[in-house]
Amino acid sequence: MKNFVYKSGMLALFAGVLLTSCDPEIDVAEPTSGTADFSSYVAVGNSLTAGYADGGLYLEGQLSSYPALLAQQFQAVGGGDFTQSLFTEAQRNGTGYLRLVGFGAPAIPGGSPTPITEAVKTELAIRAAVGPNPKLPVFLYTKFTGNVNNLGVPDMRISEIKNNNLANPQNFDPQTGRALFFPQFERVAATAQQSYLEYVQANVDAAEPTFFSNWLGNNDVLTYATSGAFSSTLTDVATFQANYSELIDVLTANNAKGVVATIPNVTAVPFFTTVGPTLKAGLKAKGIPAIAILTGKTATRVPLPVDNIKDATGGTALIPLTASAYIPLLGAPGGKYWRDISKTAFPGNPTAGLQYFLGTYGIDTTQAFGTALNPWPSSLILDETEQAEIATRTTELNNIIKAEAQSNNLAIWDANAYFNSIQNGFTRSGVFYSPAYIRGNLFSLDGIHPTPRGQAIMANEFISAINAKYNARIPKVDETQYRAIVLP
Amino acid sequence: MKSKILALLGSTLLTGTAMAGGYQVNLASQRQIGMGHTGTGLVTGTSSIFFNPGAMAQARNGITIGASAIVSKIAYQAPDYSETAADNPTGTPFQVYGVYGINDKIKVGLGVYTPFGSTVNWGSEWYGRKGLNELSLKAIYIQPTISYQVTDKLGIGAGVTYTIGSVNLQRTLPIEGEGGAEAGIELDGDAKSAFGYNLGIFFQPTDKLSLGLSYRSKVDVEVEEGDVTYSNLENLSASARTNFPDGAQFAATLPLPSTLSFGIGYNATEKLTLAVDISRVGWSEYEELRFDFTKPVGGNTTSASARNYEDTYIYRIGAEYKVTDALALRAGAYYDETPVQDGYLTPETPDADSRGLSVGLGYSINENISIDASFLYINKKERTDEANLSNGVPGTFKSIAYIPGFALNYNF
Repeated sequence: MKNFVYKSGMLALFAGVLLTSCDPEIDVAEPTSGTADFSSYVAVGNSLTAGYADGGLYLEGQLSSYPALLAQQFQAVGGGDFTQSLFTEAQRNGTGYLRLVGFGAPAIPGGSPTPITEAVKTELAIRAAVGPNPKLPVFLYTKFTGNVNNLGVPDMRISEIKNNNLANPQNFDPQTGRALFFPQFERVAATAQQSYLEYVQANVDAAEPTFFSNWLGNNDVLTYATSGAFSSTLTDVATFQANYSELIDVLTANNAKGVVATIPNVTAVPFFTTVGPTLKAGLKAKGIPAIAILTGKTATRVPLPVDNIKDATGGTALIPLTASAYIPLLGAPGGKYWRDISKTAFPGNPTAGLQYFLGTYGIDTTQAFGTALNPWPSSLILDETEQAEIATRTTELNNIIKAEAQSNNLAIWDANAYFNSIQNGFTRSGVFYSPAYIRGNLFSLDGIHPTPRGQAIMANEFISAINAKYNARIPKVDETQYRAIVLP
Repeated sequence: MKSKILALLGSTLLTGTAMAGGYQVNLASQRQIGMGHTGTGLVTGTSSIFFNPGAMAQARNGITIGASAIVSKIAYQAPDYSETAADNPTGTPFQVYGVYGINDKIKVGLGVYTPFGSTVNWGSEWYGRKGLNELSLKAIYIQPTISYQVTDKLGIGAGVTYTIGSVNLQRTLPIEGEGGAEAGIELDGDAKSAFGYNLGIFFQPTDKLSLGLSYRSKVDVEVEEGDVTYSNLENLSASARTNFPDGAQFAATLPLPSTLSFGIGYNATEKLTLAVDISRVGWSEYEELRFDFTKPVGGNTTSASARNYEDTYIYRIGAEYKVTDALALRAGAYYDETPVQDGYLTPETPDADSRGLSVGLGYSINENISIDASFLYINKKERTDEANLSNGVPGTFKSIAYIPGFALNYNF
């Protein structure tokens, strides 16, 4: 009897074990929209929001813009259709963009190979060339009509959202012949006199959004920074406050919920961190202790000791990516930089522009480039003072963004804190990411805008912020399905 | 004859999917698996070579051949993405022991067993493919042993472990291709043979009570000239391909940690034997997984990622009940802590604290021949990890395994 009890007990235990489900399972909470409603979503922003990458706006970038990825993920929690101002397949290369075609010899012996980029000039969406000088035209792009959900417009900044002349293709500076309108806004605006705020209002009226994202503000400091604090301006705090508040009012008018993002530290992108170390090493290799530079918008020359250029070992001065073409010219006479900038700053009459620049800044192009009489231009360097000025303003503007978000009870993605936190890179699922040019995987060839992979990673950061604020459970994007930089 | 059997086993059987902590595989004897893998404080028979060489002096002369089949599955849920499961090949850890008494006091033995190993197959489509597609890690220990009965109550023993092994790791390269299948890398190499040791003391203060202490040393498995090969490299552009030159070789070292075990055996009645074991596994030796390459791979001559394992304890209980002189029934359970700290989870060993539940039976066909059968069910705790410190893959992992096993004993 005892045996029988034992044996059957053992058999029961065996059977119990065998009958336990054969495959392990992980219980996953169902996606939920929480306290938010994602049925109609609009995205406000600049080039980052539009999907601009590699120095241009083109179809692939648009399709992997973070708003498009967010809308795709919102589908799991009741999200609706999301329309973008996409280029057609036939004009898929849009404004044109940069493509990596190879690597040249390192700029300094033993350095990293120099990437070689090439402009893509086929399948563009150009409809007309305008401007006072047919040799240096401004291109207008194939018009996109109809309402959209992605309101991201390259170049847009908070200070300009009420400007009624930004979509006007006749808006040129009479003196310099420089375009004062944004061709990529002209492409999507309903009329030549529509302001960005009116464009937002019109599309909000059409979409009646229940949810929005707003990541506008970067260009209010970035444009100044990328010009080496030489042209453009930092938006003043009062204007930013007034315009930002007005924009949020338009977006929240129907009690829409939303997420806003702060302005990243714009000097921590590869655009500013890639070339400096090369320049520094190159000068050291040649035994040049310092170069003469112009500073700010003045004709004042100051010496730049080589050690002041920022690299991994120290220094503070940042050199923009745009300087890479001029580094090999150091030490030789010539005025290539001034001829180039005359074309962009005075497209109406570059010859007059060149005379203006050479006269104003006292440039002698027969002297060696980088010496006091032919100094390194201010637009190709961002010194410590300029960086501090930009950092202070960035903080001020971010405080406004955060305060507006709090008073309207919106989610905040602190992009500034996020990009600061990844300065040393991070590894995710076997892939290393960092703000390094090309090999960091996050930033595209222009060194400022993200790759599709970078957009996916940003979309996931937005989702984390949204999930936390609205107690939602929006599934994240599988970032491995989106490309980083394709090597040639 | 015996050596032929050993050679056969070594060449045809795979070692098991790691289903104990880390990449340890605690499946050393079918009788003891049935008892929750206790055995340090018992005379377990020929398998005392593994559990406690100090008790081997009391084992009967004999040979044991046994093997288990690990059927394991791992479910994976990416952080809020879709679910994947690793369908692992069935692992077959094995054990062969032979014991022979030279005289009343001294016995010699030889054991061949597989205390470490891992095979995991995620495929090349899953979210973490750039972390890992497939891993196969094999280690075989060959242990000549000698045991001496000092007094009626005290036995000591020592063995030398000679370890051979191999590693094969495959992953998708984190490089963008121009379309088509993603490029992959495979590291494959045989380990240099390495030596360690196994010591044990066995003490029986009374007829009913026995105590044992054993120590198996750490062994560093070193691959010196492993092969690096690539797949689908043609789908990378020309300049990207130059980062992956032909003919690179790799070197790597993996520690197989030490294990210190203390066990108690208690003969509650003539028919019922109870046992408990506590083991401490020296996992903290495993600090990083590092590959050194003879040519740059992806621009780097090394690839290192932190592991920083922690030392762990395993707690076991087991019982055997002799229903008749011929038939014994067994049951046991254990709790095995994971050496993997938070932030360090990897798809190679998606480890968590695990619970084991076992049953077994033994049957003596005649005076010389007996069989042991066991069944072990392992359930690892569901674990969610950021994997941000180990180059791992973030997400939630859950593993279970069903491990039937069988052994044949011949005693003389």
